[in-house]
Amino acid sequence: MRGVLGGVLLILLWEGMARGFALPSYTLPAVSEILGSIWIQRASLISGGATTLLEAVVGYGLGTTIGIGLAVLITVLPWSRTALLPVVMAVNSVPVAAYSPLVLLWFGIGVSSKIVMVTLAVGFTVFLSALAGFDRVDRRSVDLLRSFGAGQAAVLWRLRLPAALPLIAAGMRVATVRSLIVAIVTEMLGANSGLGWIIYQAVVQIDFVQVWSAIFVASAISLAFFGLIGWIERRVIFWR
Amino acid sequence: MSASLSAPAMRATGVWRHTAPVLLGLGRLVLGLAIAAAVWEGAVLAFGIRPEYLPRLSAILSTIAATPEAYAAGFLRTLLETLLGFAAGVLVGVLNGVLFLRAPVLRDMLFPIFVVSQTIPVIAFGALVVLWFGNTLLAKAVIAFYLTFFPVTVNTLLGLQSVDPRQVALLRSFGANGRQILFRLLLPTALPQIFVALRLGSSLSLVGAIVGEWFGDTTGLGVILLQAMYTEQVTVMWAAILCAALLGTGFYALVSLAERWLVFWGAEQ
Amino acid sequence: MQRRTLLAAAAVAPAILPAIARAQGTQKATLRLKWLAQTQFAGFYLAKARGYYEAEGIDLTINPGGPNLLTENLVATGADTFGLSGGTDSVFAAREKNLPVVCIGVSHQQTPFFFVTRADGPIRTLQDFRGKTITTWYTGANYVLLGMLAKAGLKPGDFTMQPQQVSVTPFVEGQIDVVTATKYNEFYTLMTRMGRDKLRTFVAEEQGITFPRDTLIVNETTARQKPEMVRGFLRASIKGWRDALRDQKAGVDAVMAAAPSLNRDHQEFMLVEAGKLMTAGAAAQQGLFWIDEAAIRSAHDFLREHEVIKQPIDLAKTYDGSFLAAIPAADRMA
Repeated sequence: MRGVLGGVLLILLWEGMARGFALPSYTLPAVSEILGSIWIQRASLISGGATTLLEAVVGYGLGTTIGIGLAVLITVLPWSRTALLPVVMAVNSVPVAAYSPLVLLWFGIGVSSKIVMVTLAVGFTVFLSALAGFDRVDRRSVDLLRSFGAGQAAVLWRLRLPAALPLIAAGMRVATVRSLIVAIVTEMLGANSGLGWIIYQAVVQIDFVQVWSAIFVASAISLAFFGLIGWIERRVIFWR
Repeated sequence: MSASLSAPAMRATGVWRHTAPVLLGLGRLVLGLAIAAAVWEGAVLAFGIRPEYLPRLSAILSTIAATPEAYAAGFLRTLLETLLGFAAGVLVGVLNGVLFLRAPVLRDMLFPIFVVSQTIPVIAFGALVVLWFGNTLLAKAVIAFYLTFFPVTVNTLLGLQSVDPRQVALLRSFGANGRQILFRLLLPTALPQIFVALRLGSSLSLVGAIVGEWFGDTTGLGVILLQAMYTEQVTVMWAAILCAALLGTGFYALVSLAERWLVFWGAEQ
Repeated sequence: MQRRTLLAAAAVAPAILPAIARAQGTQKATLRLKWLAQTQFAGFYLAKARGYYEAEGIDLTINPGGPNLLTENLVATGADTFGLSGGTDSVFAAREKNLPVVCIGVSHQQTPFFFVTRADGPIRTLQDFRGKTITTWYTGANYVLLGMLAKAGLKPGDFTMQPQQVSVTPFVEGQIDVVTATKYNEFYTLMTRMGRDKLRTFVAEEQGITFPRDTLIVNETTARQKPEMVRGFLRASIKGWRDALRDQKAGVDAVMAAAPSLNRDHQEFMLVEAGKLMTAGAAAQQGLFWIDEAAIRSAHDFLREHEVIKQPIDLAKTYDGSFLAAIPAADRMA
């Protein structure tokens, strides 16, 4: 309820500023104007949103799987940590945005280049969270469990995974939002559909109300995705 | 005489005990990178990969050697923006976390707005950023800040909330005040969780700085990258990526080092 | 009125600096380019390096552009004083959206891009575009292409048109049949990778379509309140461009100083091509930055015809040649 109140206050402030100071729409359009434009252009926004969401969700699924998988691999096979971690870290330390020109060159301007970019961004976020979570376990507990003859897999399942779940969950929630942003940013650099493409087109045509409309739709989709993953996680973690 | 010698000597071994694994890790990193470099150079030669897709590492390095001052200037500029944005993001993030713990009303009101703010792609309103902050270093630092403060806020709050309420009650029963509880119990307990966000934030703030430079800047790794991308100077593009990797790895290593000292060392005492 | 008050209020802080500077005889101003530093803008960099702006009492900062930065927007809001913006097309779009910008000069007199096919491929005439895959920029070039093909009797469904990505590699590798290239940038990449004799070009002017681009703009307030500064800026810029076109090495040097990671060969080529575009058409007789009313009207009518702009634009108000006219014709010649 308080969240709604905060949101309403913000919107009122925005609307008041835009109307009170009669700001031109190229500085900041009023919220009501943006909502009206969203309704008028709903058809193109829905199809653009669907493309972006598809890219984000597929990339998110792949990225989460790869991220957790890699963290599990490094935890179960300690020798692989020495070999893999430095390379992963070096690749990760380059901002995702820097890879976008190369990924566009390699995978073209279609949906696949965006999925690759989202997978990269989500994968690293989830990997870092999962690894930190697996490492969080007290060494003595591990030794104790191992002294009872438990293998790495058992330690992982019984001890490390439960301890890591909250961190993995936090990483996965942060990653939802990143997945959409990365999809949109990549679309802005080269695409033929999606919300990022709509934003790019609108900027070129100097239609700022449309830019904001697309941003609003992107925000709404991100929030829904964020909420959905949060809801699923609450169920899974409580169930465990 | 012997007493005055032994104290620093002991401290030195103590320091060595904590730096040794770091140096060892650094050695492994160098080795790993050397192997990666050899594989890179070898693969391009062996499979005849064309330079448009992946140039040889040696070609990239000689590109940097041709105009080293351009890359050095870009590196320093991007580093400064990253550090400013990161520092501001960490400060605000931790403050937010503490504030939200103390005032749940604020948390409930502001947190959803923060979440919404993070769903907006910064690049979409690049013009607004230039409009509000001008063509300054500050504009880039602001974007780095914007990407950093949210994960830090989330993890600080999570870490603070994970403190056992019985421990708080115990300290309070000994007469500890709010500030003592915060600095002696809450923040130290939350530190490992905060550091997860700091490591994430170290790369996010670099993303922010580089993307920020795409809004009409004159120097920076982001500028070199963008210029190379549109004039199809693939080796220059890779050179900028390598510089960004160096910056990112270095920064990440520093944050990890700080974590080792603050978290693990702190826990031992 | 309110709008202006706010803009004025927002400009208070930066306005203090020019006030101080004016006391010393110079005033601060910025020029926002349409893209990052390259020899397409050599004259401005050279004019700055040689102190021509200072001599006119202007302390000029050159701000590069970038993707998703709109020069018209930054000039309209007063964030930048001068702008070298997209072209006649983006100025029309800005005026249609009520952005108070005025064009004070046009740099590229002719369409700076053309459409490129393989010389040994099946496409010999515009009619051969039927059934082919074409990539182009959806920022104005797409309408030029549609217009050219319409004159050749092709309708939008007769060919596949796709947005062009950053790289020309898909064309080089034969994945697409027609690529759009600026004469000074993408075409250089194509030539170095495929060879000039392997390429066939289709030029808009051959079909009677002209799209003057790279427009110099200011906002209405600047044009009204500081006409002497606008004239000074034009005088200094033209002087810089005359130098850059005559002594191209100096022009390239001035740009390379600002962006050392650029490829010098490419930049030299770009300056030659930029020079050709700047001295083409009416500029050959009237001098640099000439506003060719006929060419602008034809671009306007063309975009109206394709309903890219919904309302007719008041061309007399949008394109103001008076600042340029104040400079003697002999001083404007390249």
